[in-house]
This record gives sequence, structure tokens and C-alpha cells, in this order.
Amino acid sequence: MNPVLDIRNLSVTLPRNERNVTILETFSLAIAPGQMLGLVGESGSGKTIAALAIMRLLPPGAKTQGEILLNGENLLQASAARMRAIRGQGAGMVFQNPLAALNPSRTVASQIGEAWRVHQGGGKTQARARALALLHEVGIPEPETRLDNYPHQLSGGMRQRVMIAMALACRPQLLIADEPATGLDPLISRQIMELIARLRRERNMAVLFVTHDLSVVQDYADMIHVLYAGRSAEWGAARDFFRHPRHPYSAALLGAVARLGQRRLQNIPGTLPEPESRPAGCRFAPRCAHAKEACHAAYPPADSHGATVAACLYPLPMAARPVAEAQAPSPKRTFPPLLHMQGITVRYAANRRWFGQGQAQPPALADVTLSLGKGECLGVVGESGSGKSSFGRAVLQMLEYEGKMVLDGQDFHAQAGQERRDLRRKVQVVFQDPRESMNPRMSIGDIIAEPLRLAGKIKRDALRMRVQDLLGQVGLNPEMTSRFPGSVSGGQAQRIAIARALAASPSLIVLDEPTSALDVSTQAMLLNLLKDLALRHAFSYILISHDFAVVSYMADRIAVLNAGRIVELNETALLISSPQNAYTASLIGAAACSVNFCYTDTFESRALR
Amino acid sequence: MSEAFLFGPSRIMGSRFSGGFTLAVGLALAALILFSGFLAPFIYTASPYAIHPAAALQPPSAAFPFGTDELGRDALALLLSGGFATLVVALPAAALAFVSGVAYGFVSGLGSSWLDKILMRLLDVFLALPSLIVLLFFAALVPQSNFNLILLLGFISWPSLARLVRNEVRAQRGRDFILAAEQSGASRLYLARVHLLRVIAPILVVNGTFMIGDSILTISALSFLGLGVQPPQESWGSLLQNAFDIAALDPWWLILPPGLLVFGSLLAASLTGQGLLRLWGGAR
Repeated sequence: MNPVLDIRNLSVTLPRNERNVTILETFSLAIAPGQMLGLVGESGSGKTIAALAIMRLLPPGAKTQGEILLNGENLLQASAARMRAIRGQGAGMVFQNPLAALNPSRTVASQIGEAWRVHQGGGKTQARARALALLHEVGIPEPETRLDNYPHQLSGGMRQRVMIAMALACRPQLLIADEPATGLDPLISRQIMELIARLRRERNMAVLFVTHDLSVVQDYADMIHVLYAGRSAEWGAARDFFRHPRHPYSAALLGAVARLGQRRLQNIPGTLPEPESRPAGCRFAPRCAHAKEACHAAYPPADSHGATVAACLYPLPMAARPVAEAQAPSPKRTFPPLLHMQGITVRYAANRRWFGQGQAQPPALADVTLSLGKGECLGVVGESGSGKSSFGRAVLQMLEYEGKMVLDGQDFHAQAGQERRDLRRKVQVVFQDPRESMNPRMSIGDIIAEPLRLAGKIKRDALRMRVQDLLGQVGLNPEMTSRFPGSVSGGQAQRIAIARALAASPSLIVLDEPTSALDVSTQAMLLNLLKDLALRHAFSYILISHDFAVVSYMADRIAVLNAGRIVELNETALLISSPQNAYTASLIGAAACSVNFCYTDTFESRALR
Repeated sequence: MSEAFLFGPSRIMGSRFSGGFTLAVGLALAALILFSGFLAPFIYTASPYAIHPAAALQPPSAAFPFGTDELGRDALALLLSGGFATLVVALPAAALAFVSGVAYGFVSGLGSSWLDKILMRLLDVFLALPSLIVLLFFAALVPQSNFNLILLLGFISWPSLARLVRNEVRAQRGRDFILAAEQSGASRLYLARVHLLRVIAPILVVNGTFMIGDSILTISALSFLGLGVQPPQESWGSLLQNAFDIAALDPWWLILPPGLLVFGSLLAASLTGQGLLRLWGGAR
């Protein structure tokens, strides 16, 4: 069968800081009709540039070499007018953030209809009928009423369905999806994946699925192509790839993904090289445990002796895949009490008018009672809107709540003024978005020093020593103090946020989705760091996340929140192996399908699918 | 996507000039105007009050580079002393308005919600009054002095900045780094001093420069209407007014220079502000 998309030796250079930088080199792939290819790489690997190059949507100044054949036609040679026709009929594209890609001032019908009318002509009534048919096809509930909705009236999952409907409007033979399920709740993201898989079958459409997360594509992709620092590291059939990854980077990526019940995530030491400073030889060599001298000399040729093709001189043997340790029930740990919450209820004020009462809303958190021990890690899981953020903010005393909260024998409501401030300082926080959590105009040293300064007078030298010590503890270079948040990576920024939390010598740290803004390999390092820190210092964690796998990796106990109530609270292993609540089971199910790689069959969760 | 760094901000904005160039032009223009007001009178020492009846209403010549007015006064000397009179009122007035606007905005933005409500309704009252009419009313009421003029001008131009600062403070207050500082026991004063001032500094600087331009325009308008700087002292506005009285004689050398100076100071303030804004870009 002739491939729909055939990319041959594509290279892309972009101007950056007055220089031309090669972002993507000798990149080749082919997708046949009805096939889905997962293009996987961390941020900075060049995967998005590859997708944009196909649509000829690269930023101005970009130079391309090689061939991109869509049904045999070289897109790099096509005229601008021809490209406009192709973007629609030849290939449709779905982006990560549908809210940014949809026009907020136009209805769903007019946006889907436009895509069709531009390419096919036809009147408004026809376009509307076509839009309705497409909404049916992408499975939006009540499509007739949704036609006249504006994007802000739709949920995240529905917006993404509308984006897909727009991309499909002109029956493209190729669908390019750039992280379409990232940032959605796991259950919703699962539905989007199912939808794309179904549409591909029904329309016999080729799908290029761009993602940083292997676990997303593993159940759906026919083929996998791994990019690292602008070069292909490994490619081949998905089944072979997940069973026997041959490139050390692929294996490391698979090992870094949190899975239900895993004991220790694999770290990938070091960071992705910047495009300007990529090594001459194998680009992964500086971070590779198996690298030998020859690896540093020249980029390794593709080795196709195994089931997949790996650009590696010393590919892993077929059986070298580390097999997950059998899940031995961990000995039950007991903790002396630290925090006790009694009947905590959080209500948000309804839209109050100047006179009269607003409408009463259901509480964001309803009658939550639980205790947390010293050194314990409690996971709090739930979908968006379940009240998990309110839970964290109540513990942090960032919002008003009813009920009683006692930390180390001291009741928050019984304290006032400086005493309350001192008590509150014992609870620290690490937010989801590390960049938002730091003042961009403050140096990193000042950021970490802030809690120390606020806690009382401290000598300059002592302060500097302490800040450098904290930076060391979170695995950063102590000389970083004079840099600014804008110049560090996301993973580094999150470490700085952790160092700041540690600076206050807390007895409890609330982690609010600490890893969901990070790449997979960075995520693994961060989770391991948090585990190590908890062992070294005797503080407790409350880990709030929508990601069951991440929580189960860290937590001693897990509380499942739904509509503001704790529906289940149990020790991690017990909760996963035998959930008592149907909602918990469905959450575990969603997590299990996306993280359960072929060899993790030891869990009963698989049966829940 | 982290790949977004490839699309530099300058390319998206598609501006023809870089922020640095705009800023340099604005600052150069500002320096020229400040020089004309404060230093040039020491170099060009002709008296603005000396009357040369024989040479009344002369176009520019070697003796009088900018010509003379209908009384036979040296137009260049008048222009320079008028610049001093304008700036010496406009700059302190802008500073006063700036400080009070920022202070009011911070108190309202950081205060409790009822204090915020009261302060903002009060501000609505101020903003509802047509400022030029209020200005004319009070200018006619109080004795004319530079000090009173500064107070008056400062008094009418702070409310819009106060509202801007208050909204900005409210918007920044919920950001994670502010919450993190509060978690460690930061007081409101600390938040304002250490975090908020730093974060909204670009907005403050930009609006401060605009305020100077505004203030110059207002004092000129006031003088034009005869209520600003009082005779025999002249200002750009009153010079324009004098020239307008004899507009039928087409004294272009009397109209153009003060008009260009008012326009130039507005341009200088605007370019400086724009340039700073563009240089700092989205780094907020």
C-alpha cells in the first residue's frame, strides 16, 4: 500500500539569535492509510517542528531540505495556493490547546462550516448541515444545541472534539494531532484517544500523533517514532517497541513513566542538549549508561537487526527490558499524628448583590475528616471540580473554611496574629506551574531566601550558606543564586520551588499537581527527589493530583475526592488492588490502561478495563 | 509548547523599530525639551520682558532668531522662559499625581473588600466629574500661584492611575508567588514593597511617562484659557493664546514654536513609554 505521508530526509533550520540552528535532521517516516504513528519526544526534541513542517506552517526564516510527500506530491515544492487547498483536504491538524485555536467570538457551527466552505464552496445551510453531521460523528452530546454555542460554553473535552470536527471537515487523508489529549482529565483524555482511533478506522485515515507521553499512544499507535534532540533515535512497530525497546533512550523513557504500584522510577541523568550545543556523536551519549568511546565520535548508523530500527551502536538485546519487580506488599508503617481535620467544609460565596443573598451553591468541600501522620504522604485524587484544590488550599489556610484543623496540637482557628503566621509557615506549598510560583523579577537566591528572611532576622553570611545548602539539597548548582527564573528549565524551576518550601522548615508540604507541567523524564527525577527529601527530613506530604499513577508512586494512603466528598480513603496498595467505590475503580481503570505497559500484568487493575 | 521560543516577540509584534530605538528617540527629545526649559535660558540670556517697540512683530532675523511679538518682546527668550514656567509646574504636578495614584491604588488593591469598595466608589465620583471644568472652577477660585497650580493639577490627574494600579494589584494578588510569600508570613506591606512594585514596575514607568505628557498638555490648556501661569510670566499655553489673538496677521513664528514644544513633549513622553514597554516585552 502506498503511504499517505512519506517524509524523506527532512531537515529544518531556524534562525535563532542571529544564527541558523538545525532543529531537525535527516528525519524520515511513512504512514499508510488507516495507520497511526506516534511521534514521541520531550520538549525541544523537534517533534512539533516536524508537524508544522508538513503543513508548511514553520515560522518565517525557516529553511527546509528533503522531501515531504503527501500522496506522492512534494509539499515543499507546492505553491502557496496549492498549500491552502492541501491544508484541509490533504491534511487536517489538531492542536494542544483548543481554547487558543478556536475563535471565541464565533459559534461552533460557523467555525466548522467555514473550514468546509473555504475548501468546498456551498451555501450557509449546507455548511450548517455538514457541521451538524460532523458533530454527530465526533460524538458531542446534543449536537443540535451545541451548534450555536460559543467555545467558552463548552468543556475542554468538547472543545477538543470541535477542533477534531474542524480538522475533519474536508475529509483529509492525514490527521496531524499535536498533543490533543494533554491537559485534559484522564477520563476525558481517554475518550479523545478512543475518538481519534475510531475515526481513523472508519475513514481509513492516516494519523500522525505527536506527544511527549509514551503512555498516551501505547494502546493506539501502530508505529512509534522516537525523536531525541532533533534526530530519530528509534522507530518501528509499536508492539515490538513496547516489548523490546532497543535504544537506551527509549528504554529510559519507558522506565521513567510512573506506573501503578511501581517502587522506584528510573532517572535519566542530565538534560536534553540545546539545539546550539548538540554533541557531535550520538546525542544521547552524554546521558547514556551504555555509551562507549565510539558513541561520541559520530552519529551512529541505524541498526535494523532487531524488530525495531535503532540509531545506536550498542542497542539493547531483546531480553534486556527490565521487568517490573513483583509487587510485594510493603510493611505497614505507622506514623505519630501531625494534622487532624474535623468536618472541614469550604463554601464559595455565590454572586452576591449589593442587597439580598446570592444563590446558595453546593460546597466545594463537604465535611472532610481525616488525620495525617508525621512523615506520611497522603495522596488526594480526583478530577477537576472534585474539590481537590480546595482541599489543598484549606490545609494551607488560603481560604475560609468551617470545621476544625489542628496541626501539632495547635488549632488554626484558635490562633491569631504572629502566632497564626508562625503556625501557618509550618505548612508549605509547591504549585503546579513552577514559573507562576516565582516572581520573574527576583533572583533565584532571593526567592529561596524569602521564607528565611520572613521568619526573622538572619545574618547575610548565614543566609547565603543556607540558600546554597538548600540548592544543593534539591540537586541544583549552588552557584545559581544570581540567575533569574526566566533562564532556568521547568524541572529546575520546580526544584527551586521545592527549595523555597524547605527553607521554611515545614512540617507539612502540600504538593498541588507538582509534576503535571513537566516532561516525563523530569517528572521521574522530581518524584524521586521528593521521596528522598521525605526520608531525610521528617515532614509529611499531601500530594494532590489527577494522575493516579503519580500519586500511587508517592503516597502511603490515598483519598479519592468526588464532588467535594471523600468517597474512599485507604492505604495505597489496598485501594488500588481492591477499590470499594465504583468511582475509584473507574479512575484506576483510566490510569491502568494508560500506564499499564505490556509487562505490568501483576495488577488486578487490568481486569477493571 | 516550549518550541514557542522560536517565534520571538519582535517577530509577532511586527514592529518596524526596536524598543531601544524608540526609547532613544523619546529620551533624546525629552532631553532637548528639558534643556530648553532649564539650561538654555543661561546660554541665551536676552530678557523676555524687555520691549523693543521699534521691532514689534518681526519675523525671525539675526537680532531676534525667533522674531518678536506684537509688543516687541524677544520670542526666543519668551519661549525659553515659558518652557521653564510650564515644566516647573507640570513635572511636580505629574510626580504628585503619580505618587498619590500609586498609593491609593495599592491601599485599595491590598485592602479588605469593603475598603476597596468604598475607595473605588469614591474614585468613580472623581472620574465622573469632567476634569477640565473642575480644574477651571478651582483655578478661578484659589489665588494663582505655582504651588496652587501644582496641587490642582496633581489633584485632578491621579484617579485613572489609581484605578489602573488597583486593578493590577488585585490581578497579581492571586498569583502563586504571592500566595507562597503569604504562606511564609509576608505582610501586605512586604507584598507591596518586594513583590507587587517589582512586577508592575513596567506599567508604572510607562504610565508615569504618559502622565508627564498629560500634565504638560493640561497646564498648557489652562494657560491658553488664561487661568494658568499669570502675566508677566508666560508659558507655552499663554504664548499660543497671545499669538492666537493676532492670528489674522499670520504670525507663524509665534504659533509654531510653542505648539511644536507642546507636541514634542507629548511625543517624547509617549515614545519613551512605548520604548520601555517594548524593551520589557512580556516579561511580567
